[in-house]
Amino acid sequence: MQLVWDNLPFLLKGAGYTLLITIISMFFGLIIGVIVAIARMQGNRPIRWVARFYVSIIRGTPVLVQLVIVYYGLTDYGITLDAIPAACIALSINIGAYLSETFRGAILSIPKGQTEAAYATGMTSAQTMWRIVLPQAARTAIPPMGNTFIGMLKETSLVSVITVTDLLRSADLLIAQYYVYMPFYIGIAIMYWIMSTIFSTILERIERRLAKAY
Amino acid sequence: MIQTRGLSKTFGTHTVLHEIDLNIQAGEIVVLLGPSGSGKSTLLRCLNGLEDLSAGSIEVNSIEVTSTMKLKERQQRMLQIRRQTGMVFQQFNLYPHKTALGNVTESLRMVKKLERTHARHVGERMLSRVGLLEKKDQYPSRLSGGQQQRVGIARALAMEPEIILFDEPTSALDPELVGEVLDVMKSLAQEGMTMIVVTHEMKFARQVANKVIFMDEGRIIEQSDPESFFERPATERAQRFLSKVMDY
Ligand SMILES: Nc1ncnc2c1ncn2[C@@H]1O[C@H](COP(=O)(O)OP(=O)(O)OP(=O)(O)O)[C@@H](O)[C@H]1O
Ligand SMILES: [Mg+2]
Repeated sequence: MQLVWDNLPFLLKGAGYTLLITIISMFFGLIIGVIVAIARMQGNRPIRWVARFYVSIIRGTPVLVQLVIVYYGLTDYGITLDAIPAACIALSINIGAYLSETFRGAILSIPKGQTEAAYATGMTSAQTMWRIVLPQAARTAIPPMGNTFIGMLKETSLVSVITVTDLLRSADLLIAQYYVYMPFYIGIAIMYWIMSTIFSTILERIERRLAKAY
Repeated sequence: MIQTRGLSKTFGTHTVLHEIDLNIQAGEIVVLLGPSGSGKSTLLRCLNGLEDLSAGSIEVNSIEVTSTMKLKERQQRMLQIRRQTGMVFQQFNLYPHKTALGNVTESLRMVKKLERTHARHVGERMLSRVGLLEKKDQYPSRLSGGQQQRVGIARALAMEPEIILFDEPTSALDPELVGEVLDVMKSLAQEGMTMIVVTHEMKFARQVANKVIFMDEGRIIEQSDPESFFERPATERAQRFLSKVMDY
């Protein structure tokens, strides 16, 4: 374990990248998710079709494949991305598909009377969506979103495949240097666990805040 | 103020409203009666553009919508109509994530574009009009049904509608809470608000309405003043309806 302590700064840097990629992907994934969810429900036929196709493809293929397509695959067309941006792009697109399903479910769960009440006072459909439906849907969506978020935190370990020095790859590099596995793997397992727990706690707080009105 | 000509509404193959011709003047208080499924709610919902019409035309405050207009044009005008009519729902439909005051001010901010403090003043005035100023910071879940419905009325009033449509505003309430809502509605009537009310409160209908419209199977069967409707219903269907509801 001494080895882990000695190399903690290096590992923490890896954890930093893991965290960075998770948060950036979650942020853009959220935006994509909301837009796709609305597109699937209110868009015209071609838009709805494109949105469905996107969700279907992303959900039907492994994240790992998505990552290598963005990082390695695109180089065939002269698009060369650095590892971290490539990871963020691939994961945002991935998480956006999952979150759009979560949001769609949450939006559909809001009673029709809410929309009608807002329309009856003269709000437009966009205003009704942003002011009345989405805030209520957000509350329903928070628990599954939290699960997606924590899942993402763990799934980022896949980005080590495209040479991002995230937490997992930091450990691998140290292992290659010291020829011992267990201390480093246990060390990063603990670090993943701590990060997940912190996020769970934060999410629970948010959930409780949003529940205040009910 | 409100006029419909040949208004029909069809869901799939089921025609729910058959060529309704309606004429309502400013200041009138119309009670809409009829058995369940006769199309009362659908008529109200067509009148404020929550439901698109299948045939005919509607004119509210000289904004006209006809079924032959282009969809875009029709939607645009229905939005205009909604901005001139208020609606009060059987299930209240308050926004659960907003306080009583927030429910009232939401559209003042969004639709009327009032700035925050101004909207709050108007909102507070509306809540005090329905006797609920002291509840302004409560969320709907903390209010009784009667209080929630009064907030619903305040929310509609705040938009300064030319007319308010009530769809069974007291049907979801415990009996002891019905009175407080009817009292608010009576006070609106006295202030000269134009109202169309679907209700099963026959006493209210008799006391407050100046016109009763009786519907059955999507048609207007009878239209008269309350006195003659309740004392001497002209049609057999209305008689049958009255004898049923008067048993209670
Ligand atoms: N969205 C809809 N789709 C299909 N049919 C509908 C729809 N809304 C209403 N209907 C039908 O239209 C008819 C009239 O319904 P409506 O709700 O207007 O009646 P109502 O007079 O308000 O009845 P109640 O007193 O029970 O509220 C009913 O047969 C109902 O099943
Ligand atoms: Mg009804």
